[in-house]
Amino acid sequence: MRRLGAALWFAVHTAGQNFRRNLGVSLAGVFTMGLILFLVGGALLFTHSVDSVLQAQQAKASRIKIYLSDSASLASIMDFQLRLKNDPRVISVTFENKDQAAREAAQNPDIQAALNALGSNPLPASLNLNVRQLTDLGQFDSMARNTPIVDKTTATDYNPDVIGKLRTVISVISLVGGIIALILLVISLVIIMNTIRTAVYARRTEIEIMKLVGATDWFVRWPFILEGVIGGLLAAVFSGGIVFLGYKLFVQAAQRSLLSVPFDASYSAALLFLLVLGGVAVGAFGSYLGVRRFLSV
Amino acid sequence: MSVALAERPIMSPAPALRPVISFHGVTKVYPNGTTALRDVNLAVHQGDFCFLVGASGAGKSTLVRLLIREETASTGRIFIDGHEITRMPHRKLPKLRRKFGIVFQDYKLLNTRTVAQNVAFALQVTRPGQRHLREKVEEVLWIVGLEDKLDKYPDELSGGEQQRVAIARALVHRPRIFLADEPTGNLDPDTSWGIVQLLLQINHRGTTVLMATHNREVVDLVRRRVIAIEDGRVIRDEAQGSYLREGEATI
Repeated sequence: MRRLGAALWFAVHTAGQNFRRNLGVSLAGVFTMGLILFLVGGALLFTHSVDSVLQAQQAKASRIKIYLSDSASLASIMDFQLRLKNDPRVISVTFENKDQAAREAAQNPDIQAALNALGSNPLPASLNLNVRQLTDLGQFDSMARNTPIVDKTTATDYNPDVIGKLRTVISVISLVGGIIALILLVISLVIIMNTIRTAVYARRTEIEIMKLVGATDWFVRWPFILEGVIGGLLAAVFSGGIVFLGYKLFVQAAQRSLLSVPFDASYSAALLFLLVLGGVAVGAFGSYLGVRRFLSV
Repeated sequence: MSVALAERPIMSPAPALRPVISFHGVTKVYPNGTTALRDVNLAVHQGDFCFLVGASGAGKSTLVRLLIREETASTGRIFIDGHEITRMPHRKLPKLRRKFGIVFQDYKLLNTRTVAQNVAFALQVTRPGQRHLREKVEEVLWIVGLEDKLDKYPDELSGGEQQRVAIARALVHRPRIFLADEPTGNLDPDTSWGIVQLLLQINHRGTTVLMATHNREVVDLVRRRVIAIEDGRVIRDEAQGSYLREGEATI
């Protein structure tokens, strides 16, 4: 226990000492890794924000209006509404009668003028559906067209084009964001490995002596791995801080321009955790690879 | 007999008589084709003091490297303390190397650490949690005559003093065998003599000492065992030898 404690103390002490003594190289490594983590974090957060904005738009787009024929009886409408309500693909169904439709339409002054001139209300009553999945909209559209109580001239109102485009944009953005993050991570691993190799090279005499007097491989390795972990942790904390500050400012700016970008606290926390985990893992693995070739004797 | 003769373990004599170091038909060929050692057979016993002499490139350093398993023999077998090291797995090497105290021509000291820290380093990395570390370091620095230089840095010391620090570091864990590869190579004759005296003193305390050198004066003055290597072969092994064979001329 005493030996383990002493070995641990030695590793931590040496790691800290090495980090300070080679502050220039250490900070260059931290800065590089921090920059890359910042880019990865920024890319992920930006993708997530765009994704949530698009999700909100998609929710709006997942509505379909089914116009009812004027001759339909109230009982058959209630019956149809109940059938739709019980459909698992439907989130909500609301009935909008002719008066409500007129009031809604009258918000546009031109339509109000036309309605006044007409004297009667030509607008049909409708069932307004909110469905779970955009892909289901087409099915509801064709189902409505085969239902007798539905207005034959203008059966439904929804926008299939916008929906398709939205879905493409969402998947393209997610894919591009993911690829950028992956490329940056691979680049960071290579850079970290070389930074640490430079640091290890500067201390090759120390390693050589340790091996000569009979230190075990892991005893030699631990201080370097801890040093990588310290660097990774610092890089993650700094880049995480900057990413969140940037995210907060971005959300505030977006809200001022009336674009509803929600501040996602739980995603932010998960991302911070991911950055710390990524920084520590890349730092430790980079050190392991960097020190490996010097341990072959 | 299903086991081939060569595969059978060599029967070791009783530990007291058993050599600390023994080479059995050892040949070392480097990957580039250079043959550094050819069919070397030798035995060194506990408490021996041996000079390993020969021109540069004769194979002295290869022999030292084979002992601490920095290199592996191409054929033949090497025993340290009765354990065969030629096929020893990598994970057992730290324990093997702890049997040795090693010094080199270029000292290999850490310039960012003080004399005392350099010596303590050897114990910290092999025996973490060692009790009475400071006392052990002071004791060994007293043996090498540097008890008043504890807090100096290597670059504040002379070459001879730096080699003494390296010797102290090699001694602090009380090795069975002391290996010195050209320890006086960078030193003037007077300082060299001081270092050799120190090695004799270490040997006097019971440690086996093997010193690779081409310092003729030292070898001729001390008159101890001399193993001469030429072209990778042991050409001479004398109990009280000189640097050159009797009657051999100096070039």
